[in-house]
Amino acid sequence: MTSIDVQDLTKEYGTRRAVDHLTFRVRPGRVTGFLGPNGAGKSTTMRLVLGLDHPTSGSATVGGRPYAAIPDPLRHVGALLDARAAHGARTGRNHLRVLAASHRLPDRRVDEVLEGTGLGPVARHRVRTYSLGMRQRLGIAAALLGDPEVIMLDEPSNGLDPEGIVWIRTLLRRLADEGRTVLVSSHLMNETASFADHLVALGRGRLLADTPMREFIDARVRPAVRIRTSDPTVLRSTLTRHGHDAVEHTDGYWTVPDARVEDIGRLASAAGVPILELAADEGTLEQAYLDLTAAETEFAAQRQET
Amino acid sequence: MQFAPVLHAEWLKIRTVRSLPGTLLVLFAVTTAFSAVAGVDNASDPDADLLFTALSGAAVGQIAAISFGAMAVSAEYHDGALRLSLGSVPQRGRWFAAKVTAIAVPTLLVGLLSAVAALLAGRAGLGDAANGLTTAEQFRGVVGCGVYLTLMALLAAGLATLLRSGVATLSVLIPFVLVVSFVIGGATGTATDFLPDRAGQAVLQQSPDGTLGPWTGLAVTALWAAAALLAGAWSLRRRDA
Repeated sequence: MTSIDVQDLTKEYGTRRAVDHLTFRVRPGRVTGFLGPNGAGKSTTMRLVLGLDHPTSGSATVGGRPYAAIPDPLRHVGALLDARAAHGARTGRNHLRVLAASHRLPDRRVDEVLEGTGLGPVARHRVRTYSLGMRQRLGIAAALLGDPEVIMLDEPSNGLDPEGIVWIRTLLRRLADEGRTVLVSSHLMNETASFADHLVALGRGRLLADTPMREFIDARVRPAVRIRTSDPTVLRSTLTRHGHDAVEHTDGYWTVPDARVEDIGRLASAAGVPILELAADEGTLEQAYLDLTAAETEFAAQRQET
Repeated sequence: MQFAPVLHAEWLKIRTVRSLPGTLLVLFAVTTAFSAVAGVDNASDPDADLLFTALSGAAVGQIAAISFGAMAVSAEYHDGALRLSLGSVPQRGRWFAAKVTAIAVPTLLVGLLSAVAALLAGRAGLGDAANGLTTAEQFRGVVGCGVYLTLMALLAAGLATLLRSGVATLSVLIPFVLVVSFVIGGATGTATDFLPDRAGQAVLQQSPDGTLGPWTGLAVTALWAAAALLAGAWSLRRRDA
């Protein structure tokens, strides 16, 4: 199977280091979310993988080969870097026909991906009449053109309407289930959380995390229980008696950190606390990421002081 | 990766953006029209170079050729289009060779066609005076004109790749072609004879009056175009896309 291997990759633009000794591997069969704030180096890394930018040091390979050494790259790697790359005066169909021609792919395949991305009705319209969402779909169609086993998409849901976002989520899942290697960058946590199985997180060009998504969240966000009651006094005393530290929120519910819903439920029931709501407060990717970057910032600050 | 499919893709790129074939149409129309006008104008002037009169439309038509070469390349330098192109053809040298071929072949064909039409139109204007042209001179003029227009398109293509901008290329080349021809044009110094447009236009003249003969002049223009293409190719290979 084909994976993307990034090995000690560094890219400097002048004095600015956009990618800093990055090492990670993107494996097939799952959706890998490429996460980080704008300017973290995600797009640069993708360009380096595609051989578009020359690395300052280190290497990036796809299936063990540098991208430029793949004889028919579109049949192995499909990428969406910038949805604006399609020339406005060309029709969507012709845009894809140009790419197809370079790999001797038939026009039939062009029509297939146009239908598959929902662009069938506008295939013969000029790209300049497309909305941003339609351009994104065209970019995704281009990435899928050669039926590649590796797919890299840079912020694909940019400009998509809610329906489009659901569509791309389903598409990414299907591609991964077919055994393909899928790398999708995003600066939006909730969105990444909705499609990614695995996470590669960047901050200022450096690797912050390379872990399964669930592990990433569980390791950084402690589980908590969310509870609402009509008798706060009894709840508080019951919890305190059992060593739990409940925090009251303004809109009437309480959170109990470091607790499991089974335990709190039993305690409350035994003490006869009337319960209106009881739920596990699962950590979100956002909390986990913020926790991670906070640690990173502290680390950087400490290093500067010493 | 083979060359033929890459060339096919580049040709398709030119064909599917209406303004590019349109520019070649303008090349034909302008070259023919200006030659027709020049023929009528110079019909009674015994000192005029007959061949250059008949093909003088090329001096205006070259602006269309330059625009074609510059625009065909500059489309790659908008919004990451080049990244998409090099993503499908990572061998940059091969890709550039295909791009250059896709510019050169149609320019040469339209250039030759324009030259034939211009010659006929120019001769029609000149009337009996046109009988002073030999068949060999006319043949040389037509072939030379087609090649000259192609070389100017390639010069622009090379420069546009180096400067990574069509606007920058046109703002260098167009004033250069106009200013050199019309302002320094009268002065036939040795140095100006070697400028890309002046040198190549010797092939359009019945009896070139400069330092260079018709074919050596065209060869000098070819050197300019080759230098621009090499500089463009070097920049393309070296820089980040």
